[in-house]
Amino acid sequence: MNRRTFLTTAAAGIAHVASAQSVPDAIRNLRPMTGGIQPITDDERRARIEKARKLMRENKLGALVLEGGSSLYYFTGTRWPQSDRTFACVLPASGEPAWIVPEADQDRAHQAIRMGTDLRTWKEEEGPYKKLVQVLKGISRVGIEERVRFAVFDGLRKEAPALEFVSGDPVTIGCRVIKSPAEIALLQRANDITIAAYKAAFATLHKGMPQRELSANISAAYRALGAPGNAMIIFGKYTAFPHGSIQPQTLHEGDVVLVDDGCTVEGYQSDITRTTVFGRPTERQRQVWNLERKAQDAALAAARPGATCESVDAAARKVITDGGFGPGYKVPGLPHRTGHGIGLDGHEWTNLVRGNQTRLEPGMCFSNEPTIAIYGEFGVRLEDCMYITEDGARMFTKQSPAIDRPFG
Amino acid sequence: MQQTAEVSAATYQERIAKLQEAMKEFGLQAVVLEPGPAMMYLTGVRWGKSERTFAVVLPAKGGPVWVLPGFEEMRARELIHPGDDIRIWQEDESPYQRIVEGLKDRGVSSGRVGIDEAARFFVFDGIRKLAPKLDYVGAQQVLKAAGVDTTQAPGRGRGR
Repeated sequence: MNRRTFLTTAAAGIAHVASAQSVPDAIRNLRPMTGGIQPITDDERRARIEKARKLMRENKLGALVLEGGSSLYYFTGTRWPQSDRTFACVLPASGEPAWIVPEADQDRAHQAIRMGTDLRTWKEEEGPYKKLVQVLKGISRVGIEERVRFAVFDGLRKEAPALEFVSGDPVTIGCRVIKSPAEIALLQRANDITIAAYKAAFATLHKGMPQRELSANISAAYRALGAPGNAMIIFGKYTAFPHGSIQPQTLHEGDVVLVDDGCTVEGYQSDITRTTVFGRPTERQRQVWNLERKAQDAALAAARPGATCESVDAAARKVITDGGFGPGYKVPGLPHRTGHGIGLDGHEWTNLVRGNQTRLEPGMCFSNEPTIAIYGEFGVRLEDCMYITEDGARMFTKQSPAIDRPFG
Repeated sequence: MQQTAEVSAATYQERIAKLQEAMKEFGLQAVVLEPGPAMMYLTGVRWGKSERTFAVVLPAKGGPVWVLPGFEEMRARELIHPGDDIRIWQEDESPYQRIVEGLKDRGVSSGRVGIDEAARFFVFDGIRKLAPKLDYVGAQQVLKAAGVDTTQAPGRGRGR
């Protein structure tokens, strides 16, 4: 789970204030864990583009149109923020990538673009779409990357109403869903850093602590460890809301503490949740926590190559239902899917969810996070990410061993 | 967190009414918005965009229809006022089905529907697959005519 998209700015602002004030030395003194990181090579990116071309041919697509975002970064190594001035890339099924660049940004674009040399600048008075359609000449069916904005699609279809614009998902998902050893190594590093940040920050829990103090400590830990990241903090009964509540919370004796989210290494995301109790857990809290851990174990055991995604969800859900919760999405119980894909996006295809008959393959990466939500009481989520190997699923991180020992 | 001036519920109603007037002028039956500046301005609801579709259908006639993930309902109800038509989709269900049902229940089964220009292609594509006869157009002009400033970054609304 994460809500990183909208927490990023808020957390950054808060962390800035906190760093000037009261970040404990134990966090400030953490050392960078970024040594020896191997970025994705341009050769690997070229192989991704080659696979995309093959998938385009199989899916009868003449080209894939992308805006700035994780897919563009995946294929080309270029980062570009979406803005009113359309910046787009066309990956044709045959031929080199072409880039549609606002004239005002062309110097910056020349520096940012690593794949291909076909840059076409557009002037304010003509707009981007004529140039974009020229690149698509001779093509009848075009794939649109999922996060391209409606405005860009709309501009394209007005300029070329005879073209057929369809989802580019078979191409982007087909490539991104299987991670290479280099990608798994980067995900591993992001996961290791998140555990280090959490360990340091959980040691700072104290009575009366506001959520923002803990999130500031985690952000500061990430800065010291060398990877940007932040955290969603939930205390007490609000831990039953999988993504928290707007009600401000401070830490009391006996509160359940839930911390979720992660950091970024070379664009690759971690997403880890730890749940513990501040003070002495009640018997009820222990029982639910132990059931949650059994559900996570069941999903891990079920995640073997060849198994369907929905069977992994069913395995975790069965444990929770057998424990007297649910059934289905009913609360108290597990109100959401068991996991999501993870890579350059914190949530990406494909999901461990009922109805998804996609079969697991080596190289796929998922979160494993079957929440137990009990509204009015508390919620428990243990989330670790796992990657599929020939022999079964492996967690990137050591699972939480016990409610009062979140890191063993 | 910094505080901004409270916008009253009546103000949001007025803003939506103004948009409904503009929709009639532009011949639009409804506008569909993802989270962002326009949703924020018209409803006060600020929500992070994720792969899980969260949308509001603002019909030319009748009240807003909210479509959101089932497990987020409690959190969403903290933010959505009035939340008298909230339709949830469960993880193995289609949010687009809910959106199209919402359109239909407000009498929109043909004609033009405005789409938030910052909406992601997959959201639009999901809707059009289920309602291929509707004519989808960019909502920028109608929003502009109704005084919705979509270029502003969203400020703090009823929630984060």
